[in-house]
Amino acid sequence: MVPSVLFAIFAGVLVLSALGVIIARNPVHSALLLILCFFTSAVLWLLLEAEFLALVLVLVYVGAVMVLFLFVIMMLDVNVTRMREGFTRYAPLGAIVSGIIILQLAGAIWLRSGLPAAEPLTPREAGHSNTRELGAVLYTEHVYAFELAAFILLLAIIAAIMLTLRQRPGLKVQDVSAQVKVQRKDRVRLVKMDAEKDS
Amino acid sequence: MNWPAGLEQALPEWALTTLTSLVQIGVVCLVLILSVAFLTYFERKVIGFMQNRMGPNRVGPRGLLQPFADVIKLLMKEVIVPSSANRFLFVIAPVLSIAPALAAWAVMPLFPGFVIADIDAALLYVLALTSMGVYGVILAGWASNSKYALLGAMRSAAQIIAYEIAMGFALVGVLMAGGSLNLGAIVEAQAGGPLSWFWLPLFPLFIVYFVSGVAETNRAPFDVAEGESEIVAGFHVEYSGVAFAVFFLAEYANMILIAALTAVLFLGGWTSPFAGSMFSFLDGSVLEFLRASGLHWLALKTAFFLFCFLWFRATFPRYRYDQIMRLGWKVFIPVTIVWIFVEGVMVVLGVGPWSS
Amino acid sequence: MITLAHYLTLSAVLFAISVAGIYLNRKNVILLLMCIELQLLAVNFNFIAFSRFLDDVAGQVFVFFILTVAAAEAAIGLAILVVLFRNRRSINVDELDSMKG
Repeated sequence: MVPSVLFAIFAGVLVLSALGVIIARNPVHSALLLILCFFTSAVLWLLLEAEFLALVLVLVYVGAVMVLFLFVIMMLDVNVTRMREGFTRYAPLGAIVSGIIILQLAGAIWLRSGLPAAEPLTPREAGHSNTRELGAVLYTEHVYAFELAAFILLLAIIAAIMLTLRQRPGLKVQDVSAQVKVQRKDRVRLVKMDAEKDS
Repeated sequence: MNWPAGLEQALPEWALTTLTSLVQIGVVCLVLILSVAFLTYFERKVIGFMQNRMGPNRVGPRGLLQPFADVIKLLMKEVIVPSSANRFLFVIAPVLSIAPALAAWAVMPLFPGFVIADIDAALLYVLALTSMGVYGVILAGWASNSKYALLGAMRSAAQIIAYEIAMGFALVGVLMAGGSLNLGAIVEAQAGGPLSWFWLPLFPLFIVYFVSGVAETNRAPFDVAEGESEIVAGFHVEYSGVAFAVFFLAEYANMILIAALTAVLFLGGWTSPFAGSMFSFLDGSVLEFLRASGLHWLALKTAFFLFCFLWFRATFPRYRYDQIMRLGWKVFIPVTIVWIFVEGVMVVLGVGPWSS
Repeated sequence: MITLAHYLTLSAVLFAISVAGIYLNRKNVILLLMCIELQLLAVNFNFIAFSRFLDDVAGQVFVFFILTVAAAEAAIGLAILVVLFRNRRSINVDELDSMKG
C-alpha cells in the first residue's frame, strides 16, 4: 500500500512540475521546475529499485547539466515578453495534440492483454545491490559501448571548449606556473651598505 | 529502537519505522545545530589565540554563550528583500544551501551498528547531495538582483564545481579500497589501528579530498568569492537577519560534514587508533577501554579536522581566483587520476591493507 | 498495486507534455533544450520500468548510456547557444534566418 501511495504522490508532483516547465514565464523558474522533475524521477526510480541510476540521475543531471542550464540562462539576457508571443494562440491546439498522443499511448498500453509481466514486482533478496549487478555487466558485456560513451564525453568537452573559447587580442594574462616556480634568488638581492652618519 | 509495547501494537509497521526515523533524525539534527553554533564560537576563540589575543570572553563564562547572543541578534534583525528581487528564490536559496549539508548525515555511521539509513549506495548519495550545494549559491546571487552578488555567485559556483570533481575522484579511490559504497562497510574495512586506515595507501587522495573540501565550502584561503576585502560578501551581500543566519549556519554545517566525511573515509571513522596488534599489550590492563570503538573517536577526529579548517584560515593568505581554478583543474584532477591508476595496480597485485 | 502499465502511462504523459512544450515554445531555444531533456527522461522511465519487470539489467545499462549522451548533447547544445547569442544577441529562433555569403 505504501509504495502505491508514494507512487501516486511523486507521479503527481512529476506531472505538475513538467507542466510548470512549459508554462512558466521566467526561464529560471522553468529550469528550477525541471530540477524538481529530475528529483521526483529519481525517487520513482528508487521505487523501481534502480538506486544506482537514481543517484546518478541526481548527480549528473541535477548536479551538472542543470547548473550549466542555469549559468547560460543567467548569462544571456533573455527578453521574456517577446518569447511568449505565440503561446495563447497555439495553446488549445497544443493541448489537443498532446491529448491525442496520451490517449493513443494509453490505449496501446491498457487495452492490450498479455502485456509482459504486468503483475506486481517480485521482491529481491536482501543484500542485492543494483550497483554490483550493473558493474558486473557493464565492464564485461558492454565494455565497448562503455569506452565509446567515455569517448563521446571527451568529445563533448573538447567541442564545448573549442566553440566558446575566445582569445581576446592584447589581453595580459598571468603565467601562474612561472609565478609558482620563482625562487628567492630571483627576487631578493642583499646589498651591503655602510651606515650613513652625520659628520 | 525499543518502543513501549502498547505503541508497537497500536501502530502499523510503516508508521513505526517512520516514527523511529523521525526521532533519530531529530536527535542528530539537534546535535548538529548545537555543534554548528559552538563551532562559530570555537573559530573566533582559536583564531583569536593564534593572533595573540583572546576571542570573545564577555558573554557568559569564558564567552561560552556568545553563539546564543549571535543567533538572537541575527533573528531580531529585519530581513530586507531588495526591490525587484525575485522573492521566492530569495527566500529559498538559503534553504537549498543548508538542506544538503544536513541531509547527508542520514548515511553517516556514528557508532558501530548505528546509521539512520543503512543504504548500499551511501557514498553515491553523499556525492549527489554535495553537488546540490551549488544551487543555494547560484540562486542567492541571481535572486539578489545585484551585480556584486551575481558575480560573486558565478565565481563561487565555478569554484565549487571544479573542486567537486577532484572530491569525486578521491571518493572513487576510497570506493576501490573499501570495496563497497556503504559507509559502514568502508569503516569496517579500516579496522585494525592507524596503519590500516586508508590515509596511508591513499595519501594523495586524502590530501586532495581535504583541501578540495576547504575549497568547496569557500573557506580561507579559497574564499575569494566571499572575502570582505574582495567582493564585499559575495553572493550573500544582500542578505540580512534570519536569511543570512541560515547561510552562515550552512557554511559551518558543510564544514562539519566534510570534516566528518574525511574522518570516516580516510581515518577509520569510529574505530580507535589504539586498536590493532601494535597496542595489544593494553588488553587486560586498566587502559583497555582505549581500544574500544565508539562515537567519541569519530567526534575527536572530526574535531581535529575542524581545527585544521580554522588553522588554515588563520595562517594562509588568500589565493587569487585564477590560482584557485588552476589548482582545481590542472593540479588536483591529474593527481587523483594518476593515484587511482596506481591504486588499481595495487589492488590487482594484492598490495595494501584491503583483504581482497 | 502499481503495475508496469502505470509506469508506461506516466512516461507517455511526460513525453506528451514535452511535445506540447516544443510545440508551444518554438521561439525560445533554451526551453527547446529543456523539453528535449524531458523527452529523454520519459524514455528512461520506460527503459527502467521494463528492466525491472522483465528482470533484465540491459534496460538499465541503456539508461546509463542515454544519461551520458544526453549530458554531452546538452553541453554542446548550450555551447552553440552561447556562441549564437554572442553573434546575434538574440535566442529567438525566428531570427536565425540568414545564411552568410
